[in-house]
Amino acid sequence: MTQTQKNRYIPFFGCMISVKYPQFEAAVRKTAAALGITLIDVPGFSCCPDPIYFKSSNKLDLLTIAARNLCLAEEVGLDLITLCSGCTATLSEAHYHLSHDAALKAKINKRLKKINKEYRGTSSVRHIVTVLRDDIGIEKVAHTVTNPLSNVRAAIHYGCHLLKPREIMQVDDPDRPTILEDLVHATGAQAINHEERLLCCGKACENPDIPPKMTYDVLQSIKKLNVDCMCLICPTCFDEYDLGQIKLARLFETRFQLPVLYYFQLLGLAQGLTPDELGINRHKIKANDLLEKILASEVTA
Amino acid sequence: MAVLNFDFKNKLDQIIGGNNHSYCFQCGACVGDCPAARYSEKFNPRLIMLKTIHGQYEELIQENSVIWECTNCYNCYERCPQDVRPVEVISALKNLATLQQTNPPITNQMVDAVLKTGRTVVITQTSQKIRKNLGLKPLDEVPVDEIRRIIE
Repeated sequence: MTQTQKNRYIPFFGCMISVKYPQFEAAVRKTAAALGITLIDVPGFSCCPDPIYFKSSNKLDLLTIAARNLCLAEEVGLDLITLCSGCTATLSEAHYHLSHDAALKAKINKRLKKINKEYRGTSSVRHIVTVLRDDIGIEKVAHTVTNPLSNVRAAIHYGCHLLKPREIMQVDDPDRPTILEDLVHATGAQAINHEERLLCCGKACENPDIPPKMTYDVLQSIKKLNVDCMCLICPTCFDEYDLGQIKLARLFETRFQLPVLYYFQLLGLAQGLTPDELGINRHKIKANDLLEKILASEVTA
Repeated sequence: MAVLNFDFKNKLDQIIGGNNHSYCFQCGACVGDCPAARYSEKFNPRLIMLKTIHGQYEELIQENSVIWECTNCYNCYERCPQDVRPVEVISALKNLATLQQTNPPITNQMVDAVLKTGRTVVITQTSQKIRKNLGLKPLDEVPVDEIRRIIE
């Protein structure tokens, strides 16, 4: 691990967050100052590349393009923080393989030499939730909260790539993770576990009949628990559960109408940021009931 | 009777993560916790490993092969006592399918987008406007010539 000088990190937002769901980027940038995190933007990053389709096409090319992104961080001398579980998967995998396999590293460095770059392995790849837990501290996160969301019940969903494979990701125990619970508790909200909390969102499965069934089962297992929202950390999961609810409404009778929030949007609300500043109005499933509930508790507090 | 196809095995071994299939002893730990197996009668990672060991590769890398039902969840990677990492063998098989152009079109579309724009999600005027409204800077173009050169 490199020296993360006074909580300075290079953010890697990736394609899905920066282009499709920029409200998540806004939520991270706007909550970072209170957390004492300084984001140093570095130009020139490409797609991580994506760990599903690009990886299916050519693993060596995937690792080569990922290594180029890592080189850009190394040139600045800081660790990368990732905000998308897919980017975390690709970049962590590249960092891990290139650090453990000298022949592969030589092969990829030969390719990188064409653009005068060399992978050295001096910058680590860290998902931002581990920075909150390990560098900032959960207690400090809780201290940034000005409007505790104490009447909010949030069903958490981990997604796969944040946790697995554990030897590469090193975020938490994939069978008994607690990191999201701990972070949701820091906002004052209640973190609710559901039966299917570790089920994959199904996005990568190319049989079109399967992902909707998986999404349905997750939402059904949450529905029983009388929650106000779902809280997650992965933009691909978000796609499946937010837009996914619109798709499900065409296939099944059930209307879940469950608002889905990215963790930093929940934290932003707890820090007193407005729903507009956090882009919550951009979601397909509107969060009006949740937001009214939060507003009502602020008025009475 | 199954006949081992060493030619195929050698090809698979060249791809990162492809060679570990040889360690599979068919215990089935990968199946128990596999979401694709839970939802699909066709998908069984243990059988995919067995066919790979035997070199019965045609059906695995033909068009519409069952391997594309894998959800990439990495549960099998966690469960396998032999460190076969079935999901990595499956993605190595997908790489072979791509080489013979029997992969689903979506993978080519994503790769093309990365090689053309540097991103899988294409920037539009609308997306830049949404960023602006959220107080975010516009996104810059990615130096795609560098991307293309390093994978030539």
